[in-house]
Amino acid sequence: MPTIHLENLIKRYGTVQVLHGVELEMADNEFTVLVGPSGCGKSTTLRMIAGLEDVSEGEIYVDGKPVSHLEPKDRDLAMVFQDYALYPHMNVAKNMSFALLLQKRPKAEIDRKVREVAATLGLTDYLGRKPGELSGGQRQRVAMGRALTRDAGIFLFDEPLSNLDAKLRGQMRAELALMSQRVQKNMVYVTHDQIEAMTLADRIVVMHGGYIQQQGSPKELFKKPVNKFVAGFLGMPPMNFLDGEITDTADGVFVSGDGFALKLEGEKAAAAKAHSSREVTLGLRPSDLVYDADAGAGRALQLDIIVSEYVGAQTVLLCKCGPANVVVEVNSQTPIALGQTLTFAANSAGVHLFDRHSEVAL
Amino acid sequence: MSAKYEKQNPAFYVLIAILVFMSIGPVMLMFINSFKLDVDIISGTSGLLFLPTIQNYEKALCDVLWYEPEHVDFCSLKFGGAFINSLIIALISTFLTLVIGCMAAYALVRFRFMGRDTASLTTLMVRMVPPAVLLVPVFGLWNNEFCLDKEGLIGGLIRDTFGGRGDVCLAGTHSGIILIYVAMNLPFVIWILQSFIVQVPRSLEEAARVDGAGPFQVFFKVVLPLIKPGLAAAAIFTFRIAWNEYLLASALSDRNTKTVPILIVNNMSEFNVEWGVIMATGMLLAIPPIIFTLFASRQIITGMTAGAVKG
Repeated sequence: MPTIHLENLIKRYGTVQVLHGVELEMADNEFTVLVGPSGCGKSTTLRMIAGLEDVSEGEIYVDGKPVSHLEPKDRDLAMVFQDYALYPHMNVAKNMSFALLLQKRPKAEIDRKVREVAATLGLTDYLGRKPGELSGGQRQRVAMGRALTRDAGIFLFDEPLSNLDAKLRGQMRAELALMSQRVQKNMVYVTHDQIEAMTLADRIVVMHGGYIQQQGSPKELFKKPVNKFVAGFLGMPPMNFLDGEITDTADGVFVSGDGFALKLEGEKAAAAKAHSSREVTLGLRPSDLVYDADAGAGRALQLDIIVSEYVGAQTVLLCKCGPANVVVEVNSQTPIALGQTLTFAANSAGVHLFDRHSEVAL
Repeated sequence: MSAKYEKQNPAFYVLIAILVFMSIGPVMLMFINSFKLDVDIISGTSGLLFLPTIQNYEKALCDVLWYEPEHVDFCSLKFGGAFINSLIIALISTFLTLVIGCMAAYALVRFRFMGRDTASLTTLMVRMVPPAVLLVPVFGLWNNEFCLDKEGLIGGLIRDTFGGRGDVCLAGTHSGIILIYVAMNLPFVIWILQSFIVQVPRSLEEAARVDGAGPFQVFFKVVLPLIKPGLAAAAIFTFRIAWNEYLLASALSDRNTKTVPILIVNNMSEFNVEWGVIMATGMLLAIPPIIFTLFASRQIITGMTAGAVKG
């Protein structure tokens, strides 16, 4: 329930600085997801909130109170670890009640709480088992149950689903989403999987190289990435990038490069006009490229198919557009052949332009 | 189990038989001889043809028996007392070694401080010193340096309560022997336990800290139960050394604190070696370590089957 505020958080290991002044505000009952490639500092940030890493500089405020000098146990938080960190020598019930036992709560209350949480997670039949006798998914649930029993204000998740197989991960993701709706807590979740981030988050914080690249709702980040990194990181299959140049002609503003010339429309055109003849990178999501043999000039891209991956309802095509690789998706009914050149229409609303050198969105 | 066993080379079985004979043989010999009269033992009529007798055991145990065996005219052996001395010394020194050892090992593995690696290595170097080298300096120190003045407050109190002459010194006390055994076994125990503690995932300790455990609770409630197999192995090792040790105990014990191994040697005199009694005492001496090992090794097995949970 409490709000968390990270103020100019800096972490150094010796002379190596891994976090460069992270500023972050997490509101009440918000599900915040820190996402980024490995080594971006997201886990370090989470562990600093938990109190497992020292803060080199800056301060963490919980409900306005500075906490960075406090031990983890005094911060009123519960954490789910990547490897679950279940105590192997205790059974499930003991694992879940460990925190309450340490708080010296009455036995009846502990029992009631454990049964309650076990029932919501479907663990009632396993309370007497040791973690070693449980499957991966069940262990994951116990780890979650341990955090829930704790009844802390803040929940921290450190890549909790990364040890599960793909199918189970999807299932647990749905359960997590359900849990976050039911349990109104402030949750901070770290993952490198952008799908988890997109599906679970109220707010996504994309990190890279120890800096926050962008934060906002999943929709915001998907629609309006501030730079090429965020654009390429979110969305599956990832965004296609094509090198081009903005040209302002009598017919309108175009972005053109090797093998394409797209006409910009509306706001985009107005914005791009100011950057005339600038070297840019054009970003187009696969979902904004539609197979359309009759696409008119200014919308059409000619793509040479190199690889086709059949994934069921959709076929993912890896194509060449000049020197660049472009990934598109088509309905698997569409007749295609390798080596063929097809015409795709670009959705002008889905055009993203980035400066080619600074990689910042225009 | 319906697994098909591969046919082994017969030489393999011969090798096993030799090894088994080598380890069991002396024990069997001791067992058989402990039921023989000295005459039978010395006459060399080896083999199984003899009239078994429990006279040796009666003689060895004469001070704890409820009746007086007629062949024993004077009960010179105080097996009961020595046995209790051995138990006190071995159990307490094992306990102390484990308590100090596990904490030291934990600190050496988990805490970062200056000279950590050096400290870790030097503990092992202490182990390289043979007990015989320690004998003379320790004897001197225990007898002359580590003493309480009999006129002093505590020393006087001890003299008043327990009697005796001279200053109150470490030599001749249980504590003196326990102290040197702890010092002797500690390096090895620290070394063994370090390798067990390294295997405890750090995230478990972090989880416990988040759950609200202080440093000591983390250690006693999470780390210690997980290194139980290591503790058991170290306990077996320490107990057996402390139980069997002869050299230091012979120098540091007095009449009332002598241990069983020293008692055995007391059966040898310039006129006579009482092999039968030596064998019988040897058999009795072997029982506690066997019980202790069985008990402790069960901890090792349960520890292994419980297994650590990996992600």
